[in-house]
Amino acid sequence: MEVVLHLPVVPNVELVAAKAVETVGGALGMHQSGIEAASVAVVEACLNAMEHGGGQMVVRMSTDDSSGRPCLVIDVEDQGMGFDPNETPRNSATRVHGCTSKRGWGLTLIRELMDEVQIRSNPGQTVVRMRKYVENAP
Amino acid sequence: MNEEQMKLSKDVVTEGFGLIAAAGYINNEGGQAIADAATELIAGGCGTLLIDLEGTRIINSIGVSILLEIMEKLLEDKGRLAFCNLTPTISKTFEIMGLVQYATIFPDRETAQSKLIGNASV
Repeated sequence: MEVVLHLPVVPNVELVAAKAVETVGGALGMHQSGIEAASVAVVEACLNAMEHGGGQMVVRMSTDDSSGRPCLVIDVEDQGMGFDPNETPRNSATRVHGCTSKRGWGLTLIRELMDEVQIRSNPGQTVVRMRKYVENAP
Repeated sequence: MNEEQMKLSKDVVTEGFGLIAAAGYINNEGGQAIADAATELIAGGCGTLLIDLEGTRIINSIGVSILLEIMEKLLEDKGRLAFCNLTPTISKTFEIMGLVQYATIFPDRETAQSKLIGNASV
């Protein structure tokens, strides 16, 4: 099973990806809490792609059970300038408390809500690959 | 339900105690709608706010960041903020983003009101 979405940068387009996660995750038999966690993660990945990606993004969803553990695999790809994932520290409540800007939570939430996250980023292409195993709660 | 449309109501339950019920997508617009309702209730004398998120299943970090700002404003005024009816994912998101350090989480509205009314600051 594979779903490929080519999404323009328009308000709330990230909900299209979230709806697809709900459909594919449901078809996989994923627990509702797992679907909701993956939905929030894909929303955050899409928001990052829209903010930093410089144009249309591609969201690919597929299933994988090659390790004997079925999982939902989500790739969010953009064509932005790229970044060094090692240079983006996890955000924390203590860091933002009292600060005017409380932004910068996207990757932190993605890493916490998904089971595995890999980021490949070069100038012109960034792909955030996220896996959520069917049997795991968020 | 159309998740893009935030359905929101606000009410002063008892003196000093305000309730906001919000259902829908908490993005920048949804978060701001909640913040505006909270600001009105605080200005009207509510030192304790309960935000009921029954019907909210999808959020983003920009919307939750706006909720963090409400929380800080209430804390500055020595007020209290509480949430109820959170999904496990929203609860975990609030935990990661630090809202649970400063706000109280209740499983449902009835429990929240029974605990908060009487403790509401006037």
